[in-house]
Amino acid sequence: MRRLTADVVVIGGGSTGAGVVRDVAMRGYSAVLVERADLGQGTTGRFHGLLHSGGRYVVSDPESATECAQENAILTRIQSEAVEATGGYFVTCPGDDPEFADKFLAGATATGVPAREVNVSEALRNEPRINPGILRAVEVQDGTVDGWKLVWGAANSAREYGAEILTYHRVTKIETNGSAVTAVLCTDLRGGDEVLIDTNFVLNCAGPWAGQIAAMAGAHPVDVIPGRGIMIAMNHRLVNRVVNRLIYPADGDILVPAHTVSIIGTTDVKVDNPDHLKIEANEVQQMLDAGEVLVPGFRNSRALHAWAGARPLIKDDRVAASDTRHMSRGMAVIDHSERDGLDGMLTIGGGKLTTYRLMAEHITDAMCDKLGEKRACRTASEAIPGSESTRTHRVSDRLADREADRFDSQIICECELLSRKMFTDALAAQPNASFDDLRRQLRLGMGPCQGGFCSLRAGGIAVADGALDAERASGLFRLFLRNRWLGIWPILYGEQVRQTALDAWIFQGTLDTEHLPGPDAEAVEPDPTLAPTTTKES
Amino acid sequence: MSRVVVIGAGLAGWVAANRLADNGHSVVLLHKGLGGLQLGQGSIDVFGYDPARVTNPIAAVAAASAPHPYATLGTGSVVAAVAYLKQLLPGLLVGDPEANYQLPTAVGAIRPTCLAQPSMIAGNAHDGASWVIVGLRRLKDFSAELIAANLSRTELPDGGRLQARAITIDVAARESEIDSTGLTFARAFDDPDFRKRFTAALAPQLKPGETVGLPAVLGLADPTAWSDVAANLGHDVFEIPLPPPSVLGMRLDQALRARALEAGVRVVPGVRTVAFDAEGGRVRSVSIATEPAPRSFTADAFVLATGGFESGALELDSYGQVHEALFDLPVTTVDTALFHGDYWGPEQPLFTIGVPVNAAMQPLDASGASVYANLHAAGGILAGNAGWRDKTGDGVAAASALAAADAIGKERP
Repeated sequence: MRRLTADVVVIGGGSTGAGVVRDVAMRGYSAVLVERADLGQGTTGRFHGLLHSGGRYVVSDPESATECAQENAILTRIQSEAVEATGGYFVTCPGDDPEFADKFLAGATATGVPAREVNVSEALRNEPRINPGILRAVEVQDGTVDGWKLVWGAANSAREYGAEILTYHRVTKIETNGSAVTAVLCTDLRGGDEVLIDTNFVLNCAGPWAGQIAAMAGAHPVDVIPGRGIMIAMNHRLVNRVVNRLIYPADGDILVPAHTVSIIGTTDVKVDNPDHLKIEANEVQQMLDAGEVLVPGFRNSRALHAWAGARPLIKDDRVAASDTRHMSRGMAVIDHSERDGLDGMLTIGGGKLTTYRLMAEHITDAMCDKLGEKRACRTASEAIPGSESTRTHRVSDRLADREADRFDSQIICECELLSRKMFTDALAAQPNASFDDLRRQLRLGMGPCQGGFCSLRAGGIAVADGALDAERASGLFRLFLRNRWLGIWPILYGEQVRQTALDAWIFQGTLDTEHLPGPDAEAVEPDPTLAPTTTKES
Repeated sequence: MSRVVVIGAGLAGWVAANRLADNGHSVVLLHKGLGGLQLGQGSIDVFGYDPARVTNPIAAVAAASAPHPYATLGTGSVVAAVAYLKQLLPGLLVGDPEANYQLPTAVGAIRPTCLAQPSMIAGNAHDGASWVIVGLRRLKDFSAELIAANLSRTELPDGGRLQARAITIDVAARESEIDSTGLTFARAFDDPDFRKRFTAALAPQLKPGETVGLPAVLGLADPTAWSDVAANLGHDVFEIPLPPPSVLGMRLDQALRARALEAGVRVVPGVRTVAFDAEGGRVRSVSIATEPAPRSFTADAFVLATGGFESGALELDSYGQVHEALFDLPVTTVDTALFHGDYWGPEQPLFTIGVPVNAAMQPLDASGASVYANLHAAGGILAGNAGWRDKTGDGVAAASALAAADAIGKERP
């Protein structure tokens, strides 16, 4: 057994946990973050990529709106590398109430969300694909944010302050002496070791899994109600700004241009188990219909991939439990000493990715209060490694990089302009990573071919460079394709069927991949519950 | 002599066009781009897995049952098609319809196939073989190390083992270009000077008795390129097919095209056939999309060889409906969901959907009657099987094309 000691153990490697471990470490505490899968593998990696301007909440949730506007400005400064400052529109589509725009503008003024009504003709000139029948348009400062870059940035910052990040470590027990937390026991899912972390404080940032974690410490049940939302990535950027419907928040009300794709979202359905999120056919149709309203001809575009995320909503008695959309998305901190007579543990829920830094500030403040200490938060003022220049990301950045190194490094993923060197550097830094882990950082296989060409190259390069043996590389690339498929088949139609047939021709036909020797799933997947969260039925 | 229009330039289209010309028809072949041959492995599969590995493909054809197209085509037409292909491409295809080769792939699997190009057959895997797989540093779709290591850990179909090691050498196909395609290398290998540079770099690294496995880029225009490399090296060599574009497949395409032109087929490349005109239960003409107006081709008979889902000949719309894109022909249905979630599991049901036909390869309606008396379908568009998993796609394409062409011959006015 491996044994560690830390002032604070942060459980959960999504945006909240990563923000918290950074904040805790910057305030001088020794900290360990424990995550059962990869960073950003849960809810953080399963959203539409929106960096809220606050506009979405100016009418429905003014407090959130103000927080979003403030945090948007902070993140654009301290994590510029992860942010693309696209700007956004809220548009009144045919059939929508044009007077909602007045409420919206009044709400924006009241909440401090920058917003300005523009001529419909100006909006259509800037975004020619959107519905020509729009009646009003309001410009806001929506952006997009790469959730994985955001999380890795915060985690790397925390490391610079001495924190340890343990991914693929599953918490199995939170030990107490009856009245206070004493240690966290976890299992290294890749190495197999038990790890015991002596600590006096646990910050439970497990999002939709927070209830399960709280139960491990013997706390009374924490009612987390996972709200499932599906998202569909469409090929190319149908719009270059975030385009929202100018209505009260509803399903399918937003189209987000993220990297090389456009993501439509989302739905909201209460579910019981955040590990098994279906992508239902009727919800896919609902998203395509919603897309037609925003961008006529949407169904003729090429749908690449779908996924579902679980919002970590903490139950609020003011609304019915089934209506998760209208619960407050504000953050909630549960103090287990008052509630369960257990010192040294706080659980945080709710919130949204845009306000992850603020959530971390609040929970760390709460922890300092419990410890009777005053240590100031500095996370809003210090840039995260890689974002010191404050230059925001642009969709053309990779093209410029490849133009610069085209004589030195091959392109192994044409869709996402990923160079061989980027891949080998990432694999050298994380030799135990799966190709999905690398995908989240590199966008390997996230373009139109969904791994059709790059996955084999990735496996071949890894073996050629001596980073992996052939058995493991073959297993990783087969697993990668299997996992990609989970997000393809629920939305498969049109041009992507041609791609799928081509990929089948290559992998089954030409390469005969399924007749490689060896087990179907090599020791590359730590836990079956961590497979991408769609099921094989439906 | 009747006029026949063939649509599509994959294996089925070329076989049909050649056969129709041989049968004395006046043939026009319309095609949009290079057909499926450039996507594939550049050999001719007849039957690879049933689902166990097949050693005698014709015996497996005889055992096939509906809805596999072989059940309709029958053994005789497959045997005839294999013989016809060897006759069309003398020197380019060798093999025995009753014995599969077991050839390595670019991921290091051992793949069964029936007729192969001479440049491939030294790779027929057998116990005790000693291979060296040679990669090119600037060709990213071929990892010699992955292939050699996977081959070495594989129990061969005959139960034996082979030894394979890997070498990667750096010879530039184009000065200063680090990222060259297989096609670029193939064109380089057409040049005897490049072949000399290549063999000079490789020869010192070879051990006596080793057979040399190379990416299938040993020339596109020059059919002697691969044997010249072998002679220069003083070793047996074999080519391993790459993911698309497949140089091996392009060689078959070029040869079949040349043979068709020689036989008098009029080939109209680069055109999409988008519409048709029918009356009295017969197709009168098809039209291609040209500016400023579509252009139509009238004929006595038509062969639809446009491929399957990969080419867009069969389409799935966003509401879950499958359409045949040109004639809107009836397609088969499945009684399950179109897809399941296991990528490496059984065939996805969608890919078994296609156009149902009778023995004359005439598309059928729900009552089993032919839709148009003078329309025949061949190749990937047929219902019953996608051919990738069981490695029957080429045999089905060639045999159905032959059956379609011969049916037209029989109904010649």
